[in-house]
Parts: sequence; C-alpha cells; structure tokens
Amino acid sequence: MNDFLIRYLYKFPSSLSFMSELTEEQRKQWEEKIKKMSPEELQQLQKQQCVFCQIVAEKVPSKKVYEDSTCLAILDINPAAKGHLLLLPKEHYAIMPQVPEQVLKHVSIVTKYLSQILLKVTRADGTTIFIANGAAAGQRAQHFFIHLIPRKAGDVVIPAEERLVGLETAVKVKTTVEKKLLILLGGRKEIQKEEVRTQLLPELEMFVTSGSAKRYHTNKCPFAQNIPPEKKVTLLKEEAEKSGRKPCTCVSGKRIPLVKPIPGSKPKKKKEPLLKKISESKQSIILKKKNGREASLDDIANLFK
Amino acid sequence: MECEYCDILSGNSKIPLIYDDDAVVVVVKDMVYTPGQITIFPRNHFTILEQVPDEIVSRCMLVADKVSRAVFEVFQAEGTNILIQNGLGAGQIVPHFSIEVIPRIENDNLNLRWDTKPLPEDEMETTVMTLEKTLQEMDQEILAGKAAGEKPILEKSEVNKIDADAAKEKNRDNYLLKSIRKIP
Repeated sequence: MNDFLIRYLYKFPSSLSFMSELTEEQRKQWEEKIKKMSPEELQQLQKQQCVFCQIVAEKVPSKKVYEDSTCLAILDINPAAKGHLLLLPKEHYAIMPQVPEQVLKHVSIVTKYLSQILLKVTRADGTTIFIANGAAAGQRAQHFFIHLIPRKAGDVVIPAEERLVGLETAVKVKTTVEKKLLILLGGRKEIQKEEVRTQLLPELEMFVTSGSAKRYHTNKCPFAQNIPPEKKVTLLKEEAEKSGRKPCTCVSGKRIPLVKPIPGSKPKKKKEPLLKKISESKQSIILKKKNGREASLDDIANLFK
Repeated sequence: MECEYCDILSGNSKIPLIYDDDAVVVVVKDMVYTPGQITIFPRNHFTILEQVPDEIVSRCMLVADKVSRAVFEVFQAEGTNILIQNGLGAGQIVPHFSIEVIPRIENDNLNLRWDTKPLPEDEMETTVMTLEKTLQEMDQEILAGKAAGEKPILEKSEVNKIDADAAKEKNRDNYLLKSIRKIP
C-alpha cells in the first residue's frame, strides 16, 4: 500500500501545488526530499498545502450544509447545477484507497441522506454521485471528496456515453481483475443458494421415473431430465419404494450422476415471478395520483416502468 | 419489470460475474464508458440509492473501494472514477442501484467532467438555507416516526424536550444525523 501511495503521489502533479511555482532546480531538490520522506511525512506535507483542510479548520470561508465529527458537506463554488454539494472527510486523505473503512462507511451513509435531501429540495429527477481519484480521473484538489449533483431530465453532467464493447472484452476484464479483487476482499464467501433451501421443502420428496425404468430419480437428476415428458411418471416417496424400483444415487444425495442431456429433451427453465412486483408498483402509482402529493422517492424509482 | 442485473443473478445473462456474496455483486458489463469498467450492485433489488438500507450502501461503497484498488494495480491505472447515476433523470439505465468503477489513464479521451455554472452569492445563500431547513424537517419527521409510518420512537414530552434543547443550541445539532454519527 505504501509503495503504491508513493508511486501515486508522483503521478499526481497537483498533489503538491507549490511545485509548479518553483524553478527546475528547486523542484529537483524537492523531489529528492520527497523520495526520502515516509508516507506519514508526505501526508503531512500534503495536508499543509490543502485548501479543503483549511475549509475544515474554518481558515477559508465556505457554505456549510452539514457537519458532524467525521465529515463536512459544503456547496461547490463551481457547481454543475444548483445544489451541487461536496462531501468531504475532515481528516486529510488524498484519494479513496487512503480513507479508513469506518470513515468510508459513514461517508456513504451520509451521502445517501444528502442525496435524499437534494431530491426533495431541488425537485430533481435524480442525483449523480461522482468520485475522482487521481489527476487522470479529473481530480483537481488533493483532498478526497464526493460530488453530489442534483439532476433534471435532459441536462448533461457526464458528457461521455456508454458504448457496447462486447462480451469478449468483459470476460477478459473479469479474468484480469478476479484474482486481485478476491485477495482484497478476503476470498469468496459461501452463500446459501436457493437450491439448497428448496431441498428442505416437502414437495421435493417426490420422485420421477419413466414408465418402464427400473430406477427412480429426483427431479434434478440428469437422468430424470432425459425422460421424455409423455413417459414421465411422478411418484411420492412411498409409492416409489413400493413400486419395486431401486433408488438412483441422486436420491440419497451421495452423488449426482453425470449424463449428457439427450438433444430434444430440454430441462425446464424456471421463471422468476415478475408479475407480483409490477402490480404492486402500479398500485402505488395510482394511489399517489389520487392523493395528489408531490413526487416521492417511489415516484422517482417508478419512472423506470 | 425487467431488470438486467437481477437476470445476471438468476443465470439468464451472459454478463460475467466476478464476485458475489449475500449482499453485494460485482460484474463486468458489456456497455461501458471504457473497457475495464466494473459494476457493483446490491444483491436484492433496489431501484434508487434512497431505497437501499444503510448497511448495504456502506458495504457497496467498501467493495467499490476494493475494486478501485484492484483496478489501480491490475490495469496500471493512473486514476479511477466512481460514479453513481441515481434516478432516470441522472441517466440511470438499469432500474437497479449500482456503482460504476471506471479506470482512467492520462489522455484517455474520456470526458466525464461537467461544465460549471457559477451561482450568484444570494442564490447560494438561499440554497444553503433551504437545505438546512429540510435537514431539520427530516429530523422532526424521523423523531415523530412519521417517515417510517410507525409508532413514535420517543414520547411526545421527550420530543418537546429535545426541541427545546435544539432551540438552545440554535439548530446547530441534528438528530437524524446524530444517529448516523457512529464514528468517534
């Protein structure tokens, strides 16, 4: 992390703004000095040069909107729109990777509430939340902060547009990042998948077999999926045992046999119940129209439908 | 309602998934600002930021930070942008809250910067005042439990007491935000 930080600071010319005012020789001296500095000393040096730290210390005037012991929200002096806010931690951090987890957690929750307030006050249709890490990303001050910009339909805040790059590129990105990200996240976590839960349900005590077959299978067994629908017989556990058929290995759950599916007999696909959601949301829209209230958060969310 | 991100989770999409746990999912979309862009979204369906529970918002942000670090190192990026387009008016395309991490290098011809429109001093003053006022109103709502549509969190006498205290402090302090002020 420290190596990375130092490398980063060199790539970030504006992080030490006074450098541009020095002569070539003085700059070289400074660069030598910086190389010998510890990361803590570097951070201290940056802090002395930081306008936002002076705003936090109230040495420079600002329009404060919200303040607590960890962070401060002020109006941007060069706003993209009316109500454009900057949310910054009071402690000096140049970029996001330096920010401790606790502070980042707190700041993200404050972001949520400030965004909610912006929607209410500015009657915006949405908010753009933007963080720039590094000069290459358009960061202009050496203090980490979050932009909160209220948006109205049709305005342009992010001029670039997303374009289709194709799945091949996406897969390449995945394979490049995956390992590093998993190390940073501390490995993959086990999640309880739905399949595991459904096994506990009583209706899965039913088994399937073909009319002439000698064994019976669970619904998930590849053999079961290869049974043509017209020959498929569904049996309860007792029935299956009484019928004289033997259980497949899949029944005890020891081993699920590997069988290639026979072409033409495709396994059934489950469909997600989308209908319920639609009817609920429509109801809420209708309710709101009746009440004639001003736009709420749900209305903003419902604009998608 | 069709949701592209929920489709990824139900296995109906070819979009590659890098990481998922019980709260957060990390994927690589094929519609991006620049190749290398990575998307983080909560596992459960929420359309906009305001609907996402606090713990999940902060968890998403922490994962975004980790992704940003990974991107710095893996792609030799010189910077990253973290972008949340929250709401249709902000250009959100998929109706599922998400955070984009965009790797940047110098001169990559990617323009994510807005034009600024300076506000006159008096207009800035009124904006600050309305924002502060709304902050306080929101606290009142939460105090009285109106926002959640539940029983009041505090008895009325207690609310009055806090009101009086708040008046003493000339509205400096803020109850709602006190509750989210978890860090010493």
